[in-house]
Amino acid sequence: MIDFSGLPFPQGSPPAGSCVRLERNADTKLAQLVLDPPHRSLAVFDGPLLRDFDLALSDLERDHGGFTGLIVRGKEPLRFCAGADVEAIFAIETAEQARRLARLGQELFQRIHRLSKGGGGSLFVVTAAGGPVPGGAFELALAGDAIVLADHESTRIGLPEVKLGILPGWGGCQRLPRRAGAVVALDAILTGKLFRAKDALRKGLVDRVTHPEYLDRVARDLALGVERLPKKDHRARQFLVDRNPLVREVVRRRTQATVERTTGGHYPAAFEALDLVLDAARTPLERGLEKEADALARLAISPVAKHLVAIFRASEAQKKLGADEDGGKAQRLRRAAVVGAGVMGAGIASLLAQRGVDVRLSDLARGALDSAFRSHEAAVKKALKRRRVERPDADRAIDRFELSTEPVGFGACDFVIEAIAEKLGAKRAVLGNFAKLIRSDAVIATNTSSLSVDAIAAELDDPSRVVGMHFFNPVDKMPLVEIVRGAKTSDRTVRRVARLALDLGKTPVVVADRPGFVVNRLLGPYLDEALRLFEEGSSPRELDRRARAFGLPMGPFELLDRVGLDIADHAARSLSEAFGERMRASELLAPLLAAGDLGDKTGRGIYVRRGKEKELNPLLLRPPHAPAASELWGPEQLERLILPLLNEAALCLQERVVQSAAELDLAAVFGMGFPPFRGGPLHLIDDRGAHDVIAALERCAAQPTVARRPGGVERFTPAPILRELARTGGRFHTPAARPTT
Amino acid sequence: MSPAQPSVVLAAGLRLPQARAGGAFASEDAGHLGAAVARELIARTALDPALFDEVIAGCVGPPHDQANVARVIGLRAGVPRHVPARTVARNCASGLEAVTSAAASIQAGHGSLYLCLGVEVMSAYPLIYNRAATAHFARLARAKGPAAKAAAIAAWRPAMMAPRIALTEGLTDPVSGLIMGKTAENLVRDFGLTREQCDRFSVESHQRAAKAVAKGRYAKEIVPYLPLGSRPEQAALEADDGIRANQSLEALAKLKPYFERPDGVVTVGNSCGITDGATALVVAEEGRARELGLVPLARLKGFAWAGCDPARMGLGPVFATEKLLRDQGVGFGDLGPIEINEAFAAQVLACLEAFASKRFAGECLNRGDALGELDPARVNPNGGAIAIGHPVGATGARLLLTVAHELREQDATLGLATLCIGGGQGGAALLERCPS
Repeated sequence: MIDFSGLPFPQGSPPAGSCVRLERNADTKLAQLVLDPPHRSLAVFDGPLLRDFDLALSDLERDHGGFTGLIVRGKEPLRFCAGADVEAIFAIETAEQARRLARLGQELFQRIHRLSKGGGGSLFVVTAAGGPVPGGAFELALAGDAIVLADHESTRIGLPEVKLGILPGWGGCQRLPRRAGAVVALDAILTGKLFRAKDALRKGLVDRVTHPEYLDRVARDLALGVERLPKKDHRARQFLVDRNPLVREVVRRRTQATVERTTGGHYPAAFEALDLVLDAARTPLERGLEKEADALARLAISPVAKHLVAIFRASEAQKKLGADEDGGKAQRLRRAAVVGAGVMGAGIASLLAQRGVDVRLSDLARGALDSAFRSHEAAVKKALKRRRVERPDADRAIDRFELSTEPVGFGACDFVIEAIAEKLGAKRAVLGNFAKLIRSDAVIATNTSSLSVDAIAAELDDPSRVVGMHFFNPVDKMPLVEIVRGAKTSDRTVRRVARLALDLGKTPVVVADRPGFVVNRLLGPYLDEALRLFEEGSSPRELDRRARAFGLPMGPFELLDRVGLDIADHAARSLSEAFGERMRASELLAPLLAAGDLGDKTGRGIYVRRGKEKELNPLLLRPPHAPAASELWGPEQLERLILPLLNEAALCLQERVVQSAAELDLAAVFGMGFPPFRGGPLHLIDDRGAHDVIAALERCAAQPTVARRPGGVERFTPAPILRELARTGGRFHTPAARPTT
Repeated sequence: MSPAQPSVVLAAGLRLPQARAGGAFASEDAGHLGAAVARELIARTALDPALFDEVIAGCVGPPHDQANVARVIGLRAGVPRHVPARTVARNCASGLEAVTSAAASIQAGHGSLYLCLGVEVMSAYPLIYNRAATAHFARLARAKGPAAKAAAIAAWRPAMMAPRIALTEGLTDPVSGLIMGKTAENLVRDFGLTREQCDRFSVESHQRAAKAVAKGRYAKEIVPYLPLGSRPEQAALEADDGIRANQSLEALAKLKPYFERPDGVVTVGNSCGITDGATALVVAEEGRARELGLVPLARLKGFAWAGCDPARMGLGPVFATEKLLRDQGVGFGDLGPIEINEAFAAQVLACLEAFASKRFAGECLNRGDALGELDPARVNPNGGAIAIGHPVGATGARLLLTVAHELREQDATLGLATLCIGGGQGGAALLERCPS
């Protein structure tokens, strides 16, 4: 008997035997295993499901004489199984627990394998899957003889475990390379990509694709031998690639280099998976499975995995924001007015149009509208070329994008968002005018990054419909949207824009109407501290390199150039006005701003491109008497950069700018690219300990350069909540609640 | 129309600037171009597109992958799928046909609110494999076995590469075998027109159009448009791009006759250009339009279609106008703005001659008196197709829109839009100013 203790059993778990049905049809000689847990709409390998899967298997093993086929399927063609339970992975504390979880799943799937023709058994085992088939669900399918997949836009199949810092531990690293070859398996496992049905068929991840309505019939025909799959000859591939030591080593080297380059070496799971996959072909299955379980055990308890899982859980939790009071989805927004065709407005409008919302983009300058349309057209063409959309959908995305220089044609809009210059008067006027043009029940949003939503809403008739919706640049890439809730913003309004953000493929986080919200507020002291370090003699290149080594997507100076020095300056000033001394802004950039060197958009910023090289802008000058080189050594410089950000994160939570530590970390990771493997600023504080962070802050405050400069000490004064945690020994993130057994 | 019939109005209308083929709109297709102007019209009128009874589009050469282009336009413009759509064709008058079809439907009680379009992307007219090549490919596809395949391949001849040009073949009347320009040359001979008369007419058309653009007259009916596939820094097109404000008589005189060399009169300079364009109109029963809060542009008081000699199709307007005015009991003296489509300068001049000719009236129109002399200054006061282009399927709707606006400009009561139709027909519509 398998020990299922330690696995999560959700509250009100159904009784034993109710989650997996074994259906035997003695006439047709066909057996079916149906994953149909009553407590979930989509099966997940939680405690009850694993337990009942074991029961049903035992039943089948006892008696399947005379049967020819077995179908493994979900409750509906497009509801198969969502794979392993993320809560179970989150709850893992020891390597032994992780190994046990891996071995448990492996053993269950091995029993399927032993029943199957491929494993020497008597049943032809067909998995009939559709909808999402990630991770453990796909690994279950891989254990059988054949996989039929429902061809539907919701269907996605793959092994996304590396995205959580772990690897496929239920046989995926062994069976996928055996089925589809090492190269395809590496592509699938190391990127964690989820494939559409047609791509999965083309790559050999599955054997057959069919319309969801025909899924049962095709699976039955295959299981009973009525339809036979064409024989595939893998010998050539195996001889040339999978079993060829020379090719294998070349692939290994090159893939290692790629992984190193793309992840900065911060994600060990990819390296572990790489070796397992490449060695799979010449390792006996049982031995391979053991190695896989060992690797999973090492990875699952690593901080990287813990942090990635926490971020994943937090982002999943945000999906509830788009739900209506009664649990359904909030009312959809259908036609948007976007005001201001600058980079942000154009980006927002393009995204809306690509995601099925009619858009009318307004700007007084016809030229701005024209460039917005061109970049939209280019974005759609790119998506078409990369086969992310089909031709008719691409056409519709183009059709939906309307341009207007005049205040006409907005009558049917149920949503307006402005993305004009950050001037309170102008924003008030624009939204006031549009509020009269559009539907009277429309949602009114501002994409402000530095102004108060309440101030903008003050003169509007119905402030309950006004909300901040802060997108990040570039709009199509950045996954976060800060939803700024003003004092009078209604719940319904928040739900509707959250639903919109989710429909746009973004993760919404609700923040309070405080200056800088979360992301810009965290960036403020971090970016300014970079300038201070330069004033003290640090090299921008060196600081950028260190920030990247820390795991940030780019360094502070690169980010300043990307954001635009004018915009960064405006943000810094409004933060300094709002928060006083600790946000006091350096005057270092004034000469660049005066010269119009505003960063990437003007071609000259902190860095100036010269051919392929980039060099420092000669206008960027250290104050007189400043040392030519920093007296701090590298790690100290990094501390000076990161600590103000951590301290500000603690203050944000203390002031309830967001409701939870999880949301704050999520905003930092998705909004500014805070290294996901570090789990976010508050996770980092938890990992270092509040004591240590306070001590480090105090060390910085005591540095003469910091102590001398106005605002220096304030910036490094530990947030009261840090002292509180240090005193009580508490943490921002409480450890995962023990699963109920 | 008898007084008991419902009053049909052009409730709203809009057009895109017209662009010379192969130019600004070269990357467009009829479905998208039509949808763009329809969508803008829907947005501006704030009409709920679900209320339309049907979408009717006139188009001479719908793209081969958009056979019922009206349906494509409706759906792409955001008209809900329950609203049906039909494409209508009457060659150069297809855009007018869309409107008269809607009017007929309204009068028959089938509906009260129609989205009508004229649309043409002549840039996209294809080259077609000739019959020999088509047969060759068919044989190749049928060939079984390597030997048959090889034999089929070997039967290929270079002549199979000679394409058929849809544009030229489309502009040729298959019954008389004459390309449109040659039918104009017939009129030149019939009415004794001269090259200089035609060239002068063209210069006047360009100058009038340029003046109309300069004083913002055309901006009232045009919405600026940035086409698909625009180059960086390319600006949205705001006016018809075929207008040459400084067109000189001397330059026109240098052009060689295009259709009949060396003695012909018709040149590319005194003919309309090959053009892309689209016009959208909301055609509605008057009460319905007002109930939806629309202030109609004009009332469609009547329309008429008439047939004539395919080899002299340019006289179509004379036949249609005569019929229409007779039906309506209206004389030339009652008319304000008059638009006669300028397929060819010679063709419009011939129409004016025919209107004024007692002999023509007697021989061809079966009436004792001429319709009357039209003051050339009153005809096409803002220039015509020679300057602003003739996107064939779109022009009919464009003429109605222009006349409707011109009624207000001139503070006139009645206006006439008429055009000649390849194959030997004429179409005419009488618009009446609506009280606003």
